[in-house]
Amino acid sequence: MKILLYIVIQLFVIMMVAPLLNGIIKKIKALSQKRKGAPIFQMYFDLYKLCKKSSVVSDVSSWVFKVTPYIVFATAIAAALLVPVSTMIAPEQLPGDIIMFVSILALGRFFMMIAALDTASTFGGMGSSREALISSLTEPSILVSLFTVGLISKSTSLLQIMNVMKDKGVPLVHPVYIMIFFALLTIIIAETSRIPVDDPSTHLELTMVHEAMILEYSGRHLALMEYGAAIKQLTFITLLVNILIPHDQLIALTGISAVMLSLTIYLIKVIGVCIIIAIAEVSTVKLKLFSIPNLAALSFILSVLGFLQYFVLGGRYV
Amino acid sequence: MSNFFDTLSVLILFSSFILMANKMTKSYIKTFRIQSMLLALAVGSMAIKSIIEEGRFDVLVVCLLIIILKVIYIPNLLNKAYAKAEYKVEKDFILNIPILVLVCCGLVVFCYFCLSTIDGINDGVINVQVVNSISVILIGLFFMISRKKAIGQIIGFLVIENGIFITAMFSTQGMPFIVDMGIFIDMLTAVMILGIMVFKINEEFDSIDIDKLNNLKG
Repeated sequence: MKILLYIVIQLFVIMMVAPLLNGIIKKIKALSQKRKGAPIFQMYFDLYKLCKKSSVVSDVSSWVFKVTPYIVFATAIAAALLVPVSTMIAPEQLPGDIIMFVSILALGRFFMMIAALDTASTFGGMGSSREALISSLTEPSILVSLFTVGLISKSTSLLQIMNVMKDKGVPLVHPVYIMIFFALLTIIIAETSRIPVDDPSTHLELTMVHEAMILEYSGRHLALMEYGAAIKQLTFITLLVNILIPHDQLIALTGISAVMLSLTIYLIKVIGVCIIIAIAEVSTVKLKLFSIPNLAALSFILSVLGFLQYFVLGGRYV
Repeated sequence: MSNFFDTLSVLILFSSFILMANKMTKSYIKTFRIQSMLLALAVGSMAIKSIIEEGRFDVLVVCLLIIILKVIYIPNLLNKAYAKAEYKVEKDFILNIPILVLVCCGLVVFCYFCLSTIDGINDGVINVQVVNSISVILIGLFFMISRKKAIGQIIGFLVIENGIFITAMFSTQGMPFIVDMGIFIDMLTAVMILGIMVFKINEEFDSIDIDKLNNLKG
């Protein structure tokens, strides 16, 4: 019973909040350029409009092209269900762990890449080769940083990790966690195609990565792809804030009010991370494609340094 | 408080990794400035601690000297010397940047294993601050090897000096004042001489690529 309640609340929060984040980031960018910008809720309107339209599918494409939007959306939702938005609503046992989380997202990405190759347009092939490069560079970093927190909490289940981190109070004062925090922040920027790695707002063939892959989609399919990307972004941010900035230990209440309060604090944290991402996006320029390995190496080093600090400290203070 | 120093030492270590991943002359100087700021923050908090606990004011003087020399004077001097140099981006390294960064990571592991065999540092428990700060020295040395232009060598030298200083600070909680002063004057003269030499080399050869010095051998 409790697991059903968890799934309902989790799905509701994830699906409602995910498009809002893109709106907030776009609004901050617009304000920094002295523009008024689109309203915060623009992405909801866009998705609604796209869902009403029929989608155009190329004659030469195979079934992969048609099935991919559903797979991308489903994998994003499945990955989102593994990362609890609040430990208050989570059941005692949650199926799935960090390895499953990473591999589910990799499955969605794999289908996105072969669907982009399927229509045989030049942009699609270029986009998927770039995406393969970026994702293979960031995956070691995310695995090492998640394994470090997993080693500290002696479990690979995300719920168990969050429960252990709750008892630490403020983890960010500790060197291990501050390194992992910055590593995950870099990963979020790379995975959600934000500016130092990819520019989400252009359709210039030299720079686009994620946009190039979904260029052939229209209507319903495009809506599912974009919704899936937004949910993936929210899932990564949830992972960051709920592991490294835990808040549930502050709430002394029980029952429904505790859940509401916990979700409110969660929203504030997510919006805070969004503001950090927007500031990073405004204040940097897009990197050359061949400079992305340097950024990925730095992110990997951040997570490895965190890992090493854990071993050097021998788990004494951690 | 120990957590605070641990975090600072890791941040200083990471700033040297950022330095390793950079290839713009301006970002070398900027990263060095940030590293010196972190150093000043660490020494400043040690100064406050020593004033409260022992009533010593010399660490505070050292902290002020770091701010004046390493955060303000030397970066400005380097910026001025390199405003006229022709190149802005370094192009040839001995290896590519991701491999350089990974080698640096290997240096940290090496440091960790070397220090774990030494008795006497914190009764057999490895001091994370000492590991991190000795790694900064090694990374500074490796930075000097990996860069071919003179600016890289100067910055590498300064990073080594930062590393030595922070190692001494973390293992002794404040050295005798005269030793600190000696290190500072040493470094200052070295940097000034290097700056003048680089200027002269640039004038003579229209470039500060140190490989061209081989032409002098005739």
